[in-house]
Amino acid sequence: MTLSFILNGEDVSAKARSVDRLSDVLHDQFGLLGVQSDCRSGRCGRCLVFLDGRLAPSCLLPAFKARGREIITIEGFSQTEDYRDIEEGFKEAGVETCGFCEGPKIMAAAALLERRPRPTNSEILEFMSAAPCRCTDPEALIRAVRSSAELKARRRYRRAGQ
Amino acid sequence: MLHVATVRSPVARGAVRSITFPRLPTGYRAILPADIPGRNRIASFGAEIPVLAHERVSYEGEPIALLAGPDPVVLEALVAATKVECEEEEPVLGWESFSSDQVVAKRVAIVGDPDLAFSIAPEVHEAVYVSGAIDHYYSEPQGAAAAYDYDKIAIWCATQWPYHVRDSVALALGCRAEEVSVRPTRLGVHLDGKLWYPSLLACHAAIAAVACGSPARLLLTREEDFLYTTKRARSSVSVRAALGPGNDLSAMDVRIALNVGAYGPLADEILSQAVLASTGAYGCPNLRVEGYAVTTNTPPLGAFGGLGASHALFAVEAHANRLAAAAGEDPADWKSRNVLKKGSALITGEPLREEAPYAAILERLSLASDYRRKHACYELVRKRRSGKSDGPLRGIGLSFAYQGTGQFLSGDRSNAYSVEVGLDKELKVQIKTSAAAGGGGVLDIWRKTASSALGVPLANVRVASADTDESPNSGPSTLSRGVTVVNRLVENACAAIQKRRFRDPLPLTARSAYRIPKPISWEEGRVRGSPFDTAAWAGAAVELELDPWTLDPRPLGVWLCVDGGQVVSPERARAALRAGCADALGTCLSERFDPSGGKGKEDQYFRYGLLPLNELPPISVDFIEPPRKSPVKGIGELPFDTVPAAFLTAISQAAGAGFSCLPVPSSQIIRAVESA
Repeated sequence: MTLSFILNGEDVSAKARSVDRLSDVLHDQFGLLGVQSDCRSGRCGRCLVFLDGRLAPSCLLPAFKARGREIITIEGFSQTEDYRDIEEGFKEAGVETCGFCEGPKIMAAAALLERRPRPTNSEILEFMSAAPCRCTDPEALIRAVRSSAELKARRRYRRAGQ
Repeated sequence: MLHVATVRSPVARGAVRSITFPRLPTGYRAILPADIPGRNRIASFGAEIPVLAHERVSYEGEPIALLAGPDPVVLEALVAATKVECEEEEPVLGWESFSSDQVVAKRVAIVGDPDLAFSIAPEVHEAVYVSGAIDHYYSEPQGAAAAYDYDKIAIWCATQWPYHVRDSVALALGCRAEEVSVRPTRLGVHLDGKLWYPSLLACHAAIAAVACGSPARLLLTREEDFLYTTKRARSSVSVRAALGPGNDLSAMDVRIALNVGAYGPLADEILSQAVLASTGAYGCPNLRVEGYAVTTNTPPLGAFGGLGASHALFAVEAHANRLAAAAGEDPADWKSRNVLKKGSALITGEPLREEAPYAAILERLSLASDYRRKHACYELVRKRRSGKSDGPLRGIGLSFAYQGTGQFLSGDRSNAYSVEVGLDKELKVQIKTSAAAGGGGVLDIWRKTASSALGVPLANVRVASADTDESPNSGPSTLSRGVTVVNRLVENACAAIQKRRFRDPLPLTARSAYRIPKPISWEEGRVRGSPFDTAAWAGAAVELELDPWTLDPRPLGVWLCVDGGQVVSPERARAALRAGCADALGTCLSERFDPSGGKGKEDQYFRYGLLPLNELPPISVDFIEPPRKSPVKGIGELPFDTVPAAFLTAISQAAGAGFSCLPVPSSQIIRAVESA
């Protein structure tokens, strides 16, 4: 079947079989290497995408679910100001990731800050658990998300003042 | 690019009678052991593992054939349709008691006269401590790709040991090592799960590439990876200890049984490390230690952050807490009296050459965690408790450990290290070492070292990729060697350049190789000599409470205090140790895996997971200020060596019973609290 959807702001179409996972279509047909079908059970977070603005594990979604919807992957999200705030926040907090979980962690942080502009420590850790990995210092993650929230809020105030 | 899938043994032990493939579509090909052009074996620390099992299989899921083709979905269906007929034999799964046929490595050490000491001791306490298998849960799944590159076969894989991959592939293809080029890909947190296993997958990919004459890629699914690749060895450590006059430790009898699964690829090494750590942080004048590495028909089991020492440290520390309780003392007091001191006789017969700073560690830990007050309060509550609803069910535990700094103990060529540093005319520095395959923050540490040694801006220093064509062999990236050994070599090579810099014209290159320091003389199998040139020391306290309704343990705080010598990058080290503590806590709470296979093994994959971050307690890491000129020490494994024993003691205090395995099954906790 042929699917049409919006991928990272562009209208695209893809050919998929009924057994194909959305993560495989994004990775193999569009060369989006930030989306990986790793655990294939929605637990590792390596396939996280924004589906109509909501964080979703694309390895659990059949490809046909994408029809007519908007998908943003880490590649698309990395072009946004929100991404730059979070990236800066991670840098300021000195977060060092293994590299494999950085994209999913940034996506999880973005989803959290969208819902809770001033998240508590426990909310931060709960959202960050969407991308489990042995590499990261939890304290650094808290600092990173708090700092990202600060940067995002500052940018919004600045814009509102202009 | 062709994809490769693995046909696996359906039984844990037996003889392969036949493999019947379905009709293969055009472009698909089956690869059998007979198609291997070279030797059907890879070597790891003296053990030999078949590349593809031929005739006999030793564990469920062992690779017996490969299928290569263009579509991974079709390959999956072809593998499922392949029929493997085996003459099944009863698998050998027992390991706590075992037969002599199962023993692949043995160590025995006797110090003083343990028999006499036990015969006159007023009190003897005995317990058995069991550690389970743990999945490494690395960031990226295991896999490898292979392709011809002009006159070489190129291999891409995430590995801790590129030269092992190169040698294994060369052996399997029957070519010279120089004809294989390994180009390591990014490696996440590996916890020693990628020491030798990537070599096996690289052989599979290379054989498929050669057989099909096309680039080939083998990527295990997470489920395959979880069920059939290497995990932490299981251990059963029986500790019998005698208390002498003044309730001091007078004798110990330790028996270690390590289940290393099929083939025992790291058996020698992890057994040596476990035996060396069998007295833990304590000095014991009379000691008998027997260690056995035992094979079973489970996937190969071996290293996991701690390389064997953590098994023994866990058992001895947990037992030390029991001994303190038996002596009616605060564990902190009992431990302070019995810890190793300068000159204490070690298990190897040598005296301890440096002062073990446990007193300072204990003081810091007590201050930070309020250990002494909390322990006394929880003890009081425990003694007065009349039921599970009576008072909070809390406990706090304390443990000590050390991490030896130096080489592998198995004495093979894995102890070869070499680093090359080059300074060009534009004052750009390049560091070449195969240890760069380990990745992570250590690369920045080398860059900083080179930058300050040569007086060039940090931006000018670059670490070359760990390609075996370009970088010299630096052994496997493990045991914190990136910091303790390779960083020293970078320093030496830079010093050599600095000496010639104003005499010879640029560009200049210098190579530095690791020489084993003189005091080290490990005599294989005899447990004599002094295997480490120095050690890092640590202590941890863990506080927890049991949920009043479910009795599930809920950690309240973890405190770790480390004497790690010169800490090259304190902030980075602190962050890494905090992440290590979080992982170690996960192994105490939620990470449980039975590698015996059989029905229900797939369920384990879905049940297994890391501890969610929001269930972690605050984790505090503190460093003891080292004396000047203190060496750089390896500290990365200390959380795995200290946290589990402290956790076990804390949960034992909270529930009012002595537990001996982790994670403690809920049924045991409920029984203990209800009968308290």
